[in-house]
Amino acid sequence: MRLALYVTCLVDLMRPSIGFASLRLLEAAGCEVIVPEGQTCCGQPAWSAGNRSAAIDLARKAIAELEDYDYVVIPSGSCTDQLRNVYPLLFADDPAWGPRARALAERCFELTAFLADVLHFSAPPGEFAGQVTYHDSCKGLRALGIKQQPRQLLLQVRGLSLQEMPDCEECCGFGGAFSVKFGEVSTQIVDRKCASIASVGAAAVVGGDLGCLMNIEGRLRRRGDETTRVLHIAEVLAGGSEN
Amino acid sequence: MAGAKHSQAMFFQARAGAKVRDKVLQQALQKAKPLFVGKRAKGIAALAEDGLEFEALRLASEEIRNRVLRDLDVWLDIFEERARASGAEVLWARDGDEICDLVIDVARRHGVTKATKSKSMLSEEAHLNEALAAAGIRPVETDLGEYIVQLAGETPSHIIAPAVHKTIGEVEALFAKEHGRPVEARSSVDIPAMAREARGVLRQHFLSAEMGITGANFLIAESGTAALVTNEGNGRMVTTLPKVHVVITGIEKIVPTLQDFATLMRLLPRSATGQTISNYVSLLTGTKQPGDSDGPEKTVFILVDNGRAALLGSPYQDMLRCIRCGACMNHCPVYFSLGGHAYGWVYPGPMGSVLTPLYTGIENALDLPHASTGCNQCGVVCPVRIPLPELMRRLREEQNERGLRPWSERLALKAWAWVAGRPALYRWVARRAARYLDWLAEGSGRIRIFGLAPAWTAGRDLPVASGRTFHELYAARKRV
Repeated sequence: MRLALYVTCLVDLMRPSIGFASLRLLEAAGCEVIVPEGQTCCGQPAWSAGNRSAAIDLARKAIAELEDYDYVVIPSGSCTDQLRNVYPLLFADDPAWGPRARALAERCFELTAFLADVLHFSAPPGEFAGQVTYHDSCKGLRALGIKQQPRQLLLQVRGLSLQEMPDCEECCGFGGAFSVKFGEVSTQIVDRKCASIASVGAAAVVGGDLGCLMNIEGRLRRRGDETTRVLHIAEVLAGGSEN
Repeated sequence: MAGAKHSQAMFFQARAGAKVRDKVLQQALQKAKPLFVGKRAKGIAALAEDGLEFEALRLASEEIRNRVLRDLDVWLDIFEERARASGAEVLWARDGDEICDLVIDVARRHGVTKATKSKSMLSEEAHLNEALAAAGIRPVETDLGEYIVQLAGETPSHIIAPAVHKTIGEVEALFAKEHGRPVEARSSVDIPAMAREARGVLRQHFLSAEMGITGANFLIAESGTAALVTNEGNGRMVTTLPKVHVVITGIEKIVPTLQDFATLMRLLPRSATGQTISNYVSLLTGTKQPGDSDGPEKTVFILVDNGRAALLGSPYQDMLRCIRCGACMNHCPVYFSLGGHAYGWVYPGPMGSVLTPLYTGIENALDLPHASTGCNQCGVVCPVRIPLPELMRRLREEQNERGLRPWSERLALKAWAWVAGRPALYRWVARRAARYLDWLAEGSGRIRIFGLAPAWTAGRDLPVASGRTFHELYAARKRV
């Protein structure tokens, strides 16, 4: 089984440790992992902003680079949604690219969904002393139906206990460009998320999408919370060194 | 289009900040949201007790609404014929101005000086109250929320809870002032007493108005019937006491049969207020017949286009399925951070972010399709499966095609896509960016003021890594 790890631009630029954690985790699950060299951006920002032609160009590029692997695994619900659900839409009427987009889409998985649903993996090497709470990112939850997989995996981590926060399915207010365009509104929304997190008093808030995590971490710190850790689920499950 | 001259939707972004900082508004919204969300959740869960399944009902409802839209002209013809046969008059209005002209004309023909109203969104689209007042006819809103909003000189901020933006204390003070009662006459806020007080005032209006104006939740084609779904009983007063009843609805509100209406009614109140059925469901057909104890002598249907027909066959046709339950806004994190007035026109929340640009012109509501985090809670709760986030995204695409977005935004997107199409260049740019962010963070792992995204760091820090990209570190590791 040849598996491609698609790292996402946010992880590449803002938090490489998530990429390495994903790599270690997939290797611990027995996969041969390749990081395709030419990978860049999946085109989700362009698509969301309404630039269809740029989204199509980047989708073609990604399809050509990724279609030869047995699986493509992505540590992000949002980018996975783009490859799984949007690519087939972009080429719905394209006789050449349509079948390729659909074939790729079927083999693209968000990290926790791949570990739990495809590999039935249940022995994450990570350790975590204390309580964590899980934030359901919108795209993972509502576009991909990811709910149980991360929880099931977290509960296998030695020392870890899971405490659900109120409204764990509520949006954190990130929304990519939304948080840049409507900073104040976004802050208002993430404040409610921060209050939910604070109400459970967990040592860490864990999620599957770096965008949400940056938004939550940024607001927690600005509110003066220096102690609650904000971790990607790959970082918790993989354990081990940072890189 | 007619709505544009009254729309304030262009000022969404400017207004949003003020709404976020409005402490009283925030207090009202924070109280309302869990109620809406909780009641709907219970209502949907209770479907199982009746042996019904939400997804199956949603599919059936979507199908009914699509069936109507496929042959809208045919169903409208049938409705017109059946409504006329039962004694009603059927008129057609292209836009808001025509609605006002028609209503004023009917009022003049019947010597009307006062009209009681039960909520009609179309009359909000037309700014009918202003037009009636200018024509010397007094409009009196009789839904409690609408009544409050009218007394306050405001517009509704929610389609089923028009005064949701006001706190109880504000309403108490408003009543004291408008009803000529000293505030200290009541020692504490007493909601039943306030409702009684409003009812007392409204009763005089019900009895003296010569005309009643309502919307209709649905028009039923096979019987020429208007269906009204209400909770307060005022709808019955407005539709039966005055000698003239005017129903103003959008042309898309039609459903073929009573059976279809029954199916939609299983989801409408549950989606709106969580109720199995609302307190009152009125099916109004024709006029008062000999031997009837009540009912209007004259019934007039005004069927309105105001931008709707243009959506047929367009990428936005799905929006015409909307049954105005308000579930999308009740589950929207953006709506509940701002309230409805920020959206600048009749329809707030996700539905408004789609409807307002479509009905008032995309160029008149540039921010609205972007006023969404893309979380899709609206799409998940919509009882007729309208893909609201996708329609907003499609509107953004149209803005781009028509060159309506700021050049800086378009250039940034183009540049990003161009760079991302060239892996070597992308790597180089990402490496430089990572170094730059690390330099800005001064080794602290976070940036407190980031000039490229000032709105972001106004409310939060930007967490950054150590100045090396993943691909850079990965390549180095492979070389070792």
